[in-house]
Amino acid sequence: MSDSHEPQASDSGPPPLHGLLAEYRTPAELLRASKKVRDAGFSRWDTFSPFPVHGIDKAMGIKMTILPWIVLGAGLTGLATAILLQWWTNAYDYPWLVSGKPLWSIPANVPIMFELTVLFGGVTTFIAMLVLNNLPFPSHPLDHVRRFARATDDRFFLLIEAADPKFDETDTRALIDATHPIAVEGVPEDRKTSDKLPTGIIYSLVIVTVMSAVPFALAAKARYTKSRSTRVHIIQDMDSQPKYKAQRENPVFSDGRSTRLPDPETVAVGELREDDHFWRGQDHGAWVRTFPPTFRVDEAAMLRGQQRFGIYCTPCHGFGGEGNGMVAKRADELAQGTWTPPSNLTDERIRNMPVGEIFNTITNGVRNMPAYGPQIPASDRWAIILYLRALERGHAGKIADLEPAERTGL
Amino acid sequence: MATAKKGPKKTSSNAKTPSSEKPAAAPRKSSAPEDSAARVNVAGFSDSIQLGSESSALFAKAAGVAVICLGVSVALGASDGDGFRRWSHGYLAAFGVALAITAGSVFWVCLQNLVNARWSVVVRRVGEVFAANMPLLAVLALPIIVPVVLGNPVVYEWADKAKVAGDEILAHKSGYLNPTFFLVRMVFYFGFWSILARYYLNHSRRQDETGGSEIAPSMTRVSGPAMIVFGLAITFCSIDLFMAVDPRWFSTMFGVYFFASCVLGVHITLILALMWLQGRGRLAKSVTTEHYHDLGKMLFAFVIFWAYIGFSQFMLIWYANLPEETAWFKQRFAGGWGTVSWTLVFGHFVIPFFGLLSRYIKRNKTLLGFWCFWMLAMVYVDMFWLVLPAVDVEPNLRAMDVLALLGLLSALVAGAAREAGKKNLIPTKDPRLEQSLAFENI
Repeated sequence: MSDSHEPQASDSGPPPLHGLLAEYRTPAELLRASKKVRDAGFSRWDTFSPFPVHGIDKAMGIKMTILPWIVLGAGLTGLATAILLQWWTNAYDYPWLVSGKPLWSIPANVPIMFELTVLFGGVTTFIAMLVLNNLPFPSHPLDHVRRFARATDDRFFLLIEAADPKFDETDTRALIDATHPIAVEGVPEDRKTSDKLPTGIIYSLVIVTVMSAVPFALAAKARYTKSRSTRVHIIQDMDSQPKYKAQRENPVFSDGRSTRLPDPETVAVGELREDDHFWRGQDHGAWVRTFPPTFRVDEAAMLRGQQRFGIYCTPCHGFGGEGNGMVAKRADELAQGTWTPPSNLTDERIRNMPVGEIFNTITNGVRNMPAYGPQIPASDRWAIILYLRALERGHAGKIADLEPAERTGL
Repeated sequence: MATAKKGPKKTSSNAKTPSSEKPAAAPRKSSAPEDSAARVNVAGFSDSIQLGSESSALFAKAAGVAVICLGVSVALGASDGDGFRRWSHGYLAAFGVALAITAGSVFWVCLQNLVNARWSVVVRRVGEVFAANMPLLAVLALPIIVPVVLGNPVVYEWADKAKVAGDEILAHKSGYLNPTFFLVRMVFYFGFWSILARYYLNHSRRQDETGGSEIAPSMTRVSGPAMIVFGLAITFCSIDLFMAVDPRWFSTMFGVYFFASCVLGVHITLILALMWLQGRGRLAKSVTTEHYHDLGKMLFAFVIFWAYIGFSQFMLIWYANLPEETAWFKQRFAGGWGTVSWTLVFGHFVIPFFGLLSRYIKRNKTLLGFWCFWMLAMVYVDMFWLVLPAVDVEPNLRAMDVLALLGLLSALVAGAAREAGKKNLIPTKDPRLEQSLAFENI
């Protein structure tokens, strides 16, 4: 222990004592010594070991940390933030309907609530750990004690600071000696190294903090100013192509339009629709009452009609055509007042309607029923009408319509 | 052999205890210098580690309660005159709790061996004993399995051939959901678990006698493949027993959901069993607050895990909004079942989450014991909620359901008491025992 009181070079005499450092071989010895120092009533002291020593908290008389409470508070703050964020963005500031779910819908919010609880809790744990441990700690007098390097390897240390009110160099040394350390060393205050963060790091932190505000500043500026240039388009994805799109100005044509109509007096191949009966359900301006001669009324057409009716008509009109499809039921349930109920296709009015007029309704729509002409080929429209006639017949049926054998089955 | 005494054991009476009670076997001392402190403690260590005559007393009591409860339950079920339809559903829910505890024990023992756990060595034998209940559980599963094999659709409508033939969906699923394959699978599940549980118990006990240092590593080697098969078995078993009650509904998360109850079940059982043993002066010094703290942490973790899985299952179905999937939840959120669902949300997650959050509570035996009983009740509510909506439009907890639960739990206690009385309550020659005895949470 010849080096235990090596004087340090300094500006004005030897530096004052920072504390007394004791070195031990085993964690058990450290635990025993800690208990003695604890019982002697010291408050400014610490132990150092290469790995966590079980029971050191108790041996040093360290109170339970308040970190769990801080983390709990942060977690609950994260939870509240998540709820508020999702309510404000999606239900209040900019209501946006997603998948028909309620605007503010807790099940959809839970993942974010969970994530923000964990995020706030985790980040707070890290920051609070730094703050509670007085970190970062750029310099400590122990950094200059040679033997202390083994604190990260195979030795166990105990340091009592001279700043402790109970500290007295002779008495404290006697107390430490009684714990049988393998070495005791007076640690001088460090006057060479600053205990402040290096200025380079401080300036870097300031610069990084200021820079991190730049994107936010740009976003804020963009929000409150107007610009005629197009937005920044980093990933092109073939968005810009040398072609004229609909509704765009086109210098090739004198009228400047990109979207062209067919030339007048021309008909595309297969689109000559001269047969008024088949294509429009009319005969010299009057609605026809018969199926067109080109349309074959047979069982295949009836089945085709049933299938197409099931696809296109039932959502509103229902499977029986009574106007009670799922859409109609749902609309009734919502009772929003803007809904025109679909017609009951089996009532008197439709039963007596000429097939031509029904054809026209399917083709071009009526009231809030859209035009189905573009979706359903004309022959299928006729098939649907054929099936509809069968439905109506079924509704108007009487017992006398049945064969005697069928009547007994009822 | 070790002494069996009532009440806390006095140190003086341990002076004459034979070597089997001294866990620190001299030939296998660790060479690490940090262990020297622990070894000193263990050298003079002794504890009451055998159940002795209390085993048969507890077995007689528990078996009696089990027989009476199950008998009365069956009688009440018969008096319904519905061909045991209502009773079978109540029994299946109670069986869910028993299966969760026992399969959970198999999983837990397998896990401790797999990860070479040191902290849990003093607790492991209790887990092994509860895992060894698996053959008993297979017998208790007969009221569920036999009707299926006989083609009786008392719980599972797909057991009825005529019904399956007339139902396109059931006919489509009949390649999997048919009585023969069901029986084959059940034999596999319970057979595999029984063999595995017996393997662990026998090898662990053999180590007590021979002290063979190769036994622990060999158990670790077996645990890897065993864990994979366990994962598949518990997934499919829960699907077969509980999801198949409503053969039209499906959730790929269901296996994990039931697994969460298994892990809860084993930790509840371990904590309560240890408290009972320590109340009788057994393992009074081997098992410390530190072990309870760790078991409590696992209980807490799986309270959260259950909620995580349960909510994920719900949210995916809620968001996709497919009629064949939502029907199951719609039924469970209507009327009285809605109340049960919300009871689960709060009683199975929110309240115990805050209840078990604090370190202080997990280290306090009374409070931890309270939360174990609470969670045991909630695991049953969960099983009730899984099964009973199939027969009851409104939740209706009947005496026969409660008696079935009490009967099955008593049967498990009886089985464990009988097995525990045969040998030591801790693996005395496990190479990791010292570390387990000295275990501390930081």
